[in-house]
Amino acid sequence: MRLANWTASLLSLLSVAGMAGLPLAEVSQAGRLPQNGDASGKEQSDPWKSSAGKVVVLIFVRTDCPVSNRYAPEIQRISAEHASDVAFWLVYPDKRETFAEIQKHNLEYHYTLPVLRDPQRDLIKRGEVTVTPEAAVFDAKGRLIYHGRIDNWFEDFGRARPAPTTHELEVAIAAAVSGRPATLPSVNAVGCYLSDLP
Amino acid sequence: MIVSRIRATSVLTLLAAALALRGAEQRPTTELTVAPVDRVKQSAKSGTGAEPVSRITFNRDLAPIVFHTCAQCHRPGEAGPFSLLTYEDVKSHARQIVSVTQRRFMPPWLPAPSDFAFTDELRLTDQQIAAFREWYETDEAEGDARDLPPLPKFTEGWQLGQPDLILKAAKPHVLAATAGASMLDGGFSDSNGKRPDEYWNFVFRSPVAQTRWVKAVEIRPGNKRLVHHANLLVDRSESVRRQETEPGEGFTGMELQIESETFDPDGHFLFWKPGTIAKAEPRTMALRIDPGNDLVLNTHLQPSGKLEQIQPSVGLYFTDQPPTEFPVLLQLQCDKQLDIPASNKNFEVNDEFTLPVDVELLAIYPHAHYLGKDLLAVARMRNGDEKTLIHIPHWDLNWQAVYRYASPVHLERGTTIVMRYVYDNSSDNSANPNDPPIRVVAGNRASDEMAHLWLQVLAKGGLQEGDARMQLQEALARHHIENDGADFEAHYNLGAILQMRGKTADAAAEYAVAQRLRPGDATVENALGGALLAEGKIPEAIQHLISAALARPDYFDARYNLGLAFAAQQDFVRATTEFRAAVALNPNDANAEANLGGAFAASGQYAQAKLHLERALQINPQHALARENLQQILPELPH
Repeated sequence: MRLANWTASLLSLLSVAGMAGLPLAEVSQAGRLPQNGDASGKEQSDPWKSSAGKVVVLIFVRTDCPVSNRYAPEIQRISAEHASDVAFWLVYPDKRETFAEIQKHNLEYHYTLPVLRDPQRDLIKRGEVTVTPEAAVFDAKGRLIYHGRIDNWFEDFGRARPAPTTHELEVAIAAAVSGRPATLPSVNAVGCYLSDLP
Repeated sequence: MIVSRIRATSVLTLLAAALALRGAEQRPTTELTVAPVDRVKQSAKSGTGAEPVSRITFNRDLAPIVFHTCAQCHRPGEAGPFSLLTYEDVKSHARQIVSVTQRRFMPPWLPAPSDFAFTDELRLTDQQIAAFREWYETDEAEGDARDLPPLPKFTEGWQLGQPDLILKAAKPHVLAATAGASMLDGGFSDSNGKRPDEYWNFVFRSPVAQTRWVKAVEIRPGNKRLVHHANLLVDRSESVRRQETEPGEGFTGMELQIESETFDPDGHFLFWKPGTIAKAEPRTMALRIDPGNDLVLNTHLQPSGKLEQIQPSVGLYFTDQPPTEFPVLLQLQCDKQLDIPASNKNFEVNDEFTLPVDVELLAIYPHAHYLGKDLLAVARMRNGDEKTLIHIPHWDLNWQAVYRYASPVHLERGTTIVMRYVYDNSSDNSANPNDPPIRVVAGNRASDEMAHLWLQVLAKGGLQEGDARMQLQEALARHHIENDGADFEAHYNLGAILQMRGKTADAAAEYAVAQRLRPGDATVENALGGALLAEGKIPEAIQHLISAALARPDYFDARYNLGLAFAAQQDFVRATTEFRAAVALNPNDANAEANLGGAFAASGQYAQAKLHLERALQINPQHALARENLQQILPELPH
């Protein structure tokens, strides 16, 4: 598991998240972390620089949101299936969530995606997202073509279908990869409101 | 020289609870609409830069509601996903709270206000809901610290104090990140096998070594965030443990069917859901648990997205006071009417049962699966007045519960209990297990449907209270047979009641109907055999008892009764074989030992006879027949 190498050196990096003048977001690309615990080898990046020319999907989650947690296996499945065409990033928008909490959460839920925090809410604004879990899909030119629910599993709080019958995120990914314009309206997701975050 | 005590087992089915995931008041169809909370908030906050000032403050207006209604579950270690104990907690979930309370998803309370109050009601008033919204849309004021009520005192650990006996599941059940292959027969068999809920049963085998009276049971589900509800059932006949591949392993299944030798034990609802406040049974209604009784915990689990382990515990609190009142669980049901065409949005079923005796209604438990929509139970008085016992206008299997009345509801003899359930088998019902919808009938699987209404009542009959209870059970069994002539349990139960009343010929007739409905069923073959034996119809009795023993060779009652039947035919060789088998199955049964001794004596094997008669007296020194028989054979024994 790649995350096993996600070393504590990242802690110092994340702890400066609230400072002004930082790049768009910080990244931990788990597989690329230096083994020697030296944080200086790590880049801080914005997803569009490190994945230039690729379709980018941001998926917003929280450690304490039951709905986004129940989606973890499905997020893993979708990202694995489209890994060759799409750069997936997991975004933790709650700035109170510490590095250690995020790391623990990643391990427990078997996430292997690169992780971003969003203390300045830049990614929230750019993706126009309102809840967790929610996905934002950007085409190869960086244009937002879809934001909203992953699928229609949850119809409302506490009201889920046995299995989803529509798959908006995957439809949007297919459109983005083929260079077609999005055919979907952006559908509001069900989950935990980002506007409640401090 | 044979003890003719016939054992017949009566079946009382207790179909335990069930459910999955669904929500609140409105039923939007496929597209979601976001409550306009955000827009209101934005417009309120834009423009002047100053926020409108609200008269609502957290400390004065909201904290009392939050502490009373939310904090029981929304605190560390409880079922709620986050805590709601402070101003900061509530402020940082403000929009969520406004949204879920407006939809009446939270607090979870399904019944609409009706004619009788329930204990521990968790319903917000429209004014309370409006207060949260107004507060959120304005300045989210904290208010004057002096207005803040103290936090409720929550008891940590066992809510009723240290139990007299703690049972812990032998091993944890492992719940996958998304449920799947492990639970096919208990959950959905949807096409992609993803994300259904799981129903798991934990068996606590024979937890007591002597008869105990239980005044309270506290269920600790292990992980409150995963367990949606749990139902504890008493199995007095080891009928459920057979479903475990290994002791302690547990087994899957949404509904449990438990055979019961008598009608008394099933009069208690032992139910847990998130937020349940553990309570002792009324002092007069302790629950009996005998050695050999198993406790079975039926749980509804929801995968969390990661691998989880669930290992529930049950705390038992004993009393030395045997019960003086015996509640009865009455089950009304309309399963026979359940044949719901695909896409039918309003499929209605009805049942009516007129009480043959006065009762006090203590609690009520409506039960349907995922297609349930509107569940109603009404009491129609003799003068025609109707009172709503419970009305659930938006059924949600996720939040099913046993509802206890704040004070007992007196219902006179002649009152009719009316149940009316409505089902939605269309794709508008997001919980519909089938996509696209298909025809659904009654059954035990999550994808089948049910229409059950359980009432816990005390039959009122003064000194003849036992008779009143029996009358009630008999009337109910006859009612079920009227509804459905092929109702196996009803014929069986009626047979058992008639047998208890000494009407063996009538009992045999009812058992015979049940046996024709399920030929080869060990329990009914044994019961029919037993009733025929009591009537002296030995060859027919033997035929059915052999069927029972063949169906289940380790069936003690069948082997014992077969021993009696052979003995009645003077066939002491076969009688000895059967009693020996019975003794092997249950070495501590004095009657089986006494009869084995008797059978040896009758065939002239006095030394063997003495051995077993003495063994019977070891088990029960008061065993009169064993003593008498021993006296009789003493002269035959070598000195």
